[in-house]
Amino acid sequence: MNSSIESVNQPYTLSYSLAAIVSVSICSMLFMLHLSVGAKPLSYAVLYQALSSFDNSNFDHMIIHNIRLPRALIAIAVGASLSVAGAIMQGVTRNPLASPSVLGLLAGASFAVVIGLGLFDITSPLYTPWIAALGAGTAATLVIVIATAAPGGATTLNLTLSGAAVSALLAALIAVMQLANEDDFDDLREWLTGSLAGNSLQSFYYIAPVMLVALVTALLVSRKITVLSMGDEIAKGLGVKTLGLKIQLMLAVIVLTACSVAMAGPVGFVGLVVPHAVRFFVGADYRWVIPFSAIIGAGFLLAVDIVARTVINPQEISTGIITAIVGAPLFIYLVKVKLR
Amino acid sequence: MPTPYIKLRLFNQSIALLLSRNVLWLLLALSLSILCLIVLSINTGSYQLSTLQVFNILFNQRSDLTSDNIVWLFRFPRTLCAALVGAMMALSGAALQNVTRNSLADPSLIGISQGAALAVVSSMMLFPDLDQSWRSMLAFCGSILVALLILVLSHSNKSSKPIRFILLGIGISAFLSAITTAFLTYGEIYRASAALAWLAGSIDAASWQDVRILSGSAVVLLPLLILGSRAMAALRFGEQSAICLGTRIDSTKYLLISCSVALAAIATSIVGPIGFIGLIAPHAARRLCRSSVAAHLMLSALLGALLVLAADLAGRSLIAPSQIPAGILTQIIGVPTFLYLLLKQKARSAM
Repeated sequence: MNSSIESVNQPYTLSYSLAAIVSVSICSMLFMLHLSVGAKPLSYAVLYQALSSFDNSNFDHMIIHNIRLPRALIAIAVGASLSVAGAIMQGVTRNPLASPSVLGLLAGASFAVVIGLGLFDITSPLYTPWIAALGAGTAATLVIVIATAAPGGATTLNLTLSGAAVSALLAALIAVMQLANEDDFDDLREWLTGSLAGNSLQSFYYIAPVMLVALVTALLVSRKITVLSMGDEIAKGLGVKTLGLKIQLMLAVIVLTACSVAMAGPVGFVGLVVPHAVRFFVGADYRWVIPFSAIIGAGFLLAVDIVARTVINPQEISTGIITAIVGAPLFIYLVKVKLR
Repeated sequence: MPTPYIKLRLFNQSIALLLSRNVLWLLLALSLSILCLIVLSINTGSYQLSTLQVFNILFNQRSDLTSDNIVWLFRFPRTLCAALVGAMMALSGAALQNVTRNSLADPSLIGISQGAALAVVSSMMLFPDLDQSWRSMLAFCGSILVALLILVLSHSNKSSKPIRFILLGIGISAFLSAITTAFLTYGEIYRASAALAWLAGSIDAASWQDVRILSGSAVVLLPLLILGSRAMAALRFGEQSAICLGTRIDSTKYLLISCSVALAAIATSIVGPIGFIGLIAPHAARRLCRSSVAAHLMLSALLGALLVLAADLAGRSLIAPSQIPAGILTQIIGVPTFLYLLLKQKARSAM
């Protein structure tokens, strides 16, 4: 049986690998473009010099090294993480609308970070991901428990409605925290709209390895996600330990979301848009959906961030605002077409 | 035994109300508590005034200038605004729920308030010289566009459940809020801070001009809703039954929806989005007492007024001297109500 699946997949493997190479090269082109455009346009020659032989007395090199490189790397990390998190959630819950923003994970993580900063004064990039993870986990559990208890069980509808409600509540509580001590939260105002700006490489170095572990985990179990996406009974029949796998995957989703929020604030709708686009091209095999989500997600957020930085030059729009403007219409389309 | 109902027939029976004793008592009790809360609200604040002083100022005008100003210029209009806005949002929600047969419909949840917010914020940022009196008009245009969009999107689907409409609304409101946020974060800072205060749903800047706009539109729109109450009662049974009962459903439906949108839009244009009152008040009114549609509308309006008055009062006394905008407090109470409705079977089938 196994060998017959392999043989069916053989012709696709070649074309998919080719597609992967093409998308990776598009990503790296976007990466270079991201580094070169901005308030001060820089040529690719300068870019190459800055990356190969860094000179810290050269102003252009400083711009690239201190401002643009961290931002581009964070865009890649956040885009890949949120997209993979969304892909896993859509596969496991068999719910086309599932994504970190729709199910309240982003709001939970942001709320936890705001509480950590407001009440305990924690700003270190060493701790924020874990605080964010705690918040995202709690919010996700709350949303799932409410949706399961609602009549009809954890359907797309119930999950989405309880996710929206929990997000609304957390947003109101964040607003209260903000009003209670306005001075402390002035810096957070832009972070809360999902901004990639103003990060240092240091926080990237702290958080990226954790993200990488979660991404690799997702990649390793991707074959089982395909089985899970056929439904619990079929998965059990095929010998998958569904509960353990689901818990493992949920932890991966929470870690990916939390790390993204810790880096860039709540960047909404990436986890909704990218997996749908990917599945449109590669189908329902999660061995391909997961890696392509990571690559396309990274490219998508790079592209969105290029738009955010150039559209009203020299000012910059928060990336999260653009992703919402792109993502919300897709959400509406999915509700109209996919939800029966 | 006296009959438990009081029948009220007006205008050659085009309005006929059936009021039970319980409803009458409830209406009375709610009005009294609103009056008490209004007095309390005028009393409370950083400048101490006794109840006696307040009565003196309100009725015989013999007092010193400071307290006179505080009551007449600040606290009294603010209090009246809170009450009117609450009543209007509650009516808007109640009408919307009756027409769409969906007990989770709330103008702030499905993007109608966000439409008003976007229209007002963009006008504040792009045309700062525009007179404030245009705000209500703009807010109404923004809201009605959103309402039309949702209706068009949810209508064309044959198998559409009424509840899908909420999901569409959530998507639309996410989209609109993103654009509003873009305006706020990247417009000029002094304009943005004025818009931000408005956007949090705060009543602190209310003036007599606002009270006039609110009460004027309430006086026009409330009778329209009461007139439509019979059609709403028929619509509760479903569109087909309503047609069989002799309701001209297309015209009434659009009339009622525009009334509902107008109420929400005008209230929003004055104080900013006040979330979830349109959800809490009609639901609480239904739980308090069985009543006809018209009586339910009146009960909802009074409850809404009471809730926003209380939210405004709590918001400015809880962490004084800072103020929590009333809109945020109503959202914090409103979400658990929404979840409760979601958890109950009734939310899906009864309406």
